[in-house]
Amino acid sequence: MNEELDSQLSAMFDDALPPAECELLARRLSRDEQLKARWGRYAVIGAAIRAERGVRLNARVAGRVNARIVSEPALSGSSAPSRAGRGRLAWWQPLAGSAVAAGVAALAILWLRAQAPPAAAPLTAQAAAPSQSRPAAAHPLVAAERMRDAISFVVPPANAAPAPLLMPSTELANYVVAHSMFSSPVTRRNLLSAFMTSEAAGAAIAAPALPVPDAQSHAQ
Amino acid sequence: MGADVSDLSLVRRVQRGDKGAFDALVLKYQHKLVKLVMRYVRNPAEAEDIAQEAFIKAYRALPQFRGDSAFYTWLYRIAINTAKNAVVSRDRSPIEYNIDRSNDESYEMQGRMKDSETPEGLVLTEEIRSIVNAAIDALPEDLRTAIVLRELEGLSYEEIAATMDCPVGTVRSRIFRAREAIDRRLREVFEGGLGRAEELG
Repeated sequence: MNEELDSQLSAMFDDALPPAECELLARRLSRDEQLKARWGRYAVIGAAIRAERGVRLNARVAGRVNARIVSEPALSGSSAPSRAGRGRLAWWQPLAGSAVAAGVAALAILWLRAQAPPAAAPLTAQAAAPSQSRPAAAHPLVAAERMRDAISFVVPPANAAPAPLLMPSTELANYVVAHSMFSSPVTRRNLLSAFMTSEAAGAAIAAPALPVPDAQSHAQ
Repeated sequence: MGADVSDLSLVRRVQRGDKGAFDALVLKYQHKLVKLVMRYVRNPAEAEDIAQEAFIKAYRALPQFRGDSAFYTWLYRIAINTAKNAVVSRDRSPIEYNIDRSNDESYEMQGRMKDSETPEGLVLTEEIRSIVNAAIDALPEDLRTAIVLRELEGLSYEEIAATMDCPVGTVRSRIFRAREAIDRRLREVFEGGLGRAEELG
């Protein structure tokens, strides 16, 4: 017999053979009766060295098990959990998925609302009102300075666009659509309606600020 | 080397429908399993029956084996449970009380035989042991040390390499050569003399 093959067999018996070689040798071992007999003798040698009391080294267990296994159905492609096990798992997985998706969406909406400047519109109104109701200053420079103070509340800086208020909702809507397989149609529709409502509200909040540049230009 | 890699490669083959691979696992672990079961039952024949049953249970349960633990750990658990159940059912079995004791001398003999190995099995086992021991004694020192550290002390190749101050490849070669020398003696005796080589596995 091939000495290299026997050396590999000895190493495999001791679990000291690289996995790739193990795969190949396991295939051969399961078919080659001579190799299998040698493998069995390696086990006998080990048992004899350990002087295992009461253990018959001519044990016929392997032969009897082999005879029983022949009548058993072969296990094919069954390393996955059994069908019964899958059935037990199946019922709660969609529910858990929906619950997680709904929870994430709800948290995201709450976070978004917390991040948005809720007092923007009233603040604008309060800030603009006094400046308009106040009697015009006698000196044009004082009047212009007062107007600038008022404008600083009303007109957002050029780089602070209102877009961030709307963008996360869009992203959130995309997220909900992408994960729609985990939520029921009703939940999905409710969430999307909520986004649309919040976007419309955002647009409504942004709208009063629009005439202000005109006011600014008029003032200047 | 990853633990249990060789067993796992055989297990995966069995899971794909290769019954021959399971045969290799049984050959490897039958003695260890019988020894384990003998902690629960004294009779070697009964221990073999229980070990056989444990192997059959393991085969049927293999689709559920995912490799989270070592195969032998999993197998040993099955064997221990099988042995415990066997002891309980034997203790509860009414068969013990229904034995015909008309021939008391014969019954007594059977009882004694149950508690010890059969003469044939005993002789063969002792013969195998003496052959293996003689073959080990005849080995060169480095081969003998390597195989004894491996089989008796259960050291890994890396640990043996550290103990013997040599590369792991040398350890692998020494253990293989030691096994080959012992196996040659076993085959000479069993194939030529007793003609029972098929019973060794």
